[in-house]
Amino acid sequence: RAMELPTSHFPAARAAAVALGYLRYLRGGPGRGLDLRELRRARRQDVDDVGHKYYLELELEDVLDKDRTVNCTAEVLYHLGSKSRAPDVQVTVQGELRSTEEADQEFYHRIRSLEKELVAENIPDSHGNVPPALQPIHLLAGVASGYLIWQNSTENTKFHLARVKHVKQVKRSDEDLQFDYVVLLHEMVSQEVIPWEVTVLWHPQRGARVSRDQRQPGHTLG
Amino acid sequence: HQVLRVVPKSDEELQKVQELQGLEHLQLDFWLAPRGLGFPVDIRVPFSSLQPVKAHLEASGVSYSIMIEDVQALVDEEQTQMLRSSRQLPLTTNTFNYKAYHTLDEIYNFMDLLVAENPNLVSKLEIGRSTENRPLYVLKFSTGGTNRPAVWIDTGIHSREWVTQASGVWFAKKIVQDHTNNEGVASILETMDIFLEIVTNPDGFAFTHTKNRMWRKTRSKHSGSICVGVDPNRNWDAGFGEAGASSNPCTETYHGPYANSEPEVKSIVDFVKSHGNIKAFISIHSYSQLLLYPYGYTETPAADQQELHEVSAKAVAALSSLYGTKYTYGSIITTIYKASGSTIDWTYNQGIKYSFTFELRDTGFYGFLLPAKQIVPTAEETWLGLKVIMEHARDNLY
Repeated sequence: RAMELPTSHFPAARAAAVALGYLRYLRGGPGRGLDLRELRRARRQDVDDVGHKYYLELELEDVLDKDRTVNCTAEVLYHLGSKSRAPDVQVTVQGELRSTEEADQEFYHRIRSLEKELVAENIPDSHGNVPPALQPIHLLAGVASGYLIWQNSTENTKFHLARVKHVKQVKRSDEDLQFDYVVLLHEMVSQEVIPWEVTVLWHPQRGARVSRDQRQPGHTLG
Repeated sequence: HQVLRVVPKSDEELQKVQELQGLEHLQLDFWLAPRGLGFPVDIRVPFSSLQPVKAHLEASGVSYSIMIEDVQALVDEEQTQMLRSSRQLPLTTNTFNYKAYHTLDEIYNFMDLLVAENPNLVSKLEIGRSTENRPLYVLKFSTGGTNRPAVWIDTGIHSREWVTQASGVWFAKKIVQDHTNNEGVASILETMDIFLEIVTNPDGFAFTHTKNRMWRKTRSKHSGSICVGVDPNRNWDAGFGEAGASSNPCTETYHGPYANSEPEVKSIVDFVKSHGNIKAFISIHSYSQLLLYPYGYTETPAADQQELHEVSAKAVAALSSLYGTKYTYGSIITTIYKASGSTIDWTYNQGIKYSFTFELRDTGFYGFLLPAKQIVPTAEETWLGLKVIMEHARDNLY
């Protein structure tokens, strides 16, 4: 009942982007960025009265260690009719991801011991540079964006994180780190670049959690 | 390396700083050269020279501050090159920095250098003017003949896709080098001309440098809207205005008030029609790592679909052979999305069979903000794909 899809055609590619966003949210962190190396296989099943379900086989790479890849399978269910309902995603990662425990601890302590809250903007800069000290901040933005991409995708969209417009650390009384981001998301079909506020809480053991997000109104008119 | 700042407050202090300029063995790099009293002098000092330089200044009571404690940690190698090369225009295309992004002026200067260095091969044509009256330049590479069958390549039609203009600059130099060394495209140049428009949308490009790095469109203002710009890849007369473009001037895929309303587009249309002998047309974009052929505005397959698909397969294989970069290929409408009024749909319908669009690196991690150090690898691998298309056109003239 599931139809084989050409992996070179856009419906499979869009579903893969949703799966990647979800996976980045779940498994990404300041020490780990995941990217899609290859979409190996895609199938689609139309479920009556429910929606369209995609079955995907993906090969992922670790952005900080490109020689390292990992396979995963994913299911992405876009719900029928409802544009405001996030797709349901399930992923199974085969094998181990590189441990980031040491880097996570180092980052955690570095940020916790800052006297003044971290503030930065335009990551990467216009030339694609990310200063090494800001790389974990960039990767954490990828985690937050993964959440936004997962939550806001439909079969007619394909989102990527274009840039971190602004980021501000917020000191907390509990053990989490908090970063308030404004990210720019690039949507491929409309080609729009959309500013989005998103707050991420992160802890070395507990991982990342988006606590708040809001699409910013307005559009660059010129 | 540290960067020291000295603000000379007396003639003696100024002299002491100027003395440092003469001491070549110290390998000092003056980011801001001595200009006069009260003007800051910034000196990048390699680690091994720190002690003698500081001693020289301290011995004469010249105060200095450490502006940058550790240049290596703070500034990328590309950033340093960028800063250096942007303050002095290179004197030859051999000293031009291909590993950095450049401004419009720097690219236009590069073109003039290339022509001056190779007057028998390269000429610069002005095919029109942009909305803001910037010249639209095309480089012509020709070893002679009259109106030979030709290949057209354009980069930068969407201004935020910076790796494309940067690759265009590299392609221009590569064509000249191949010709000099009688290898690569030298054989193509025996029977064909190559036209290369590096900055196809100069107004947009200038805007990405000054105001908004994410600007895509032209900078035209059409009556009835406060919004600026038309998507130059929706403005062509192929399915113009149909689904796959927007009629809202405030959107990124606005098709414009009518086909060819944009001078950036009209100038190419006029050029192609009056030339009459273009056999391959390749329009270069980023990002997504795709090689695309017509159509975008209709599901009807192009008549030459099978051949275009086979050529694409070969081109992608050649591209991947260099660094393993993975590309996907197919028609626009099946591979990426429905798009009306796009460039290669028009050129194909004009009879230019080998009409292709590239979407260069990457697949979304950096997107439009591709790190400068990926410029040359991107250009190198793309060139291998372009050569497959050019060679196929040469061997299958119609």
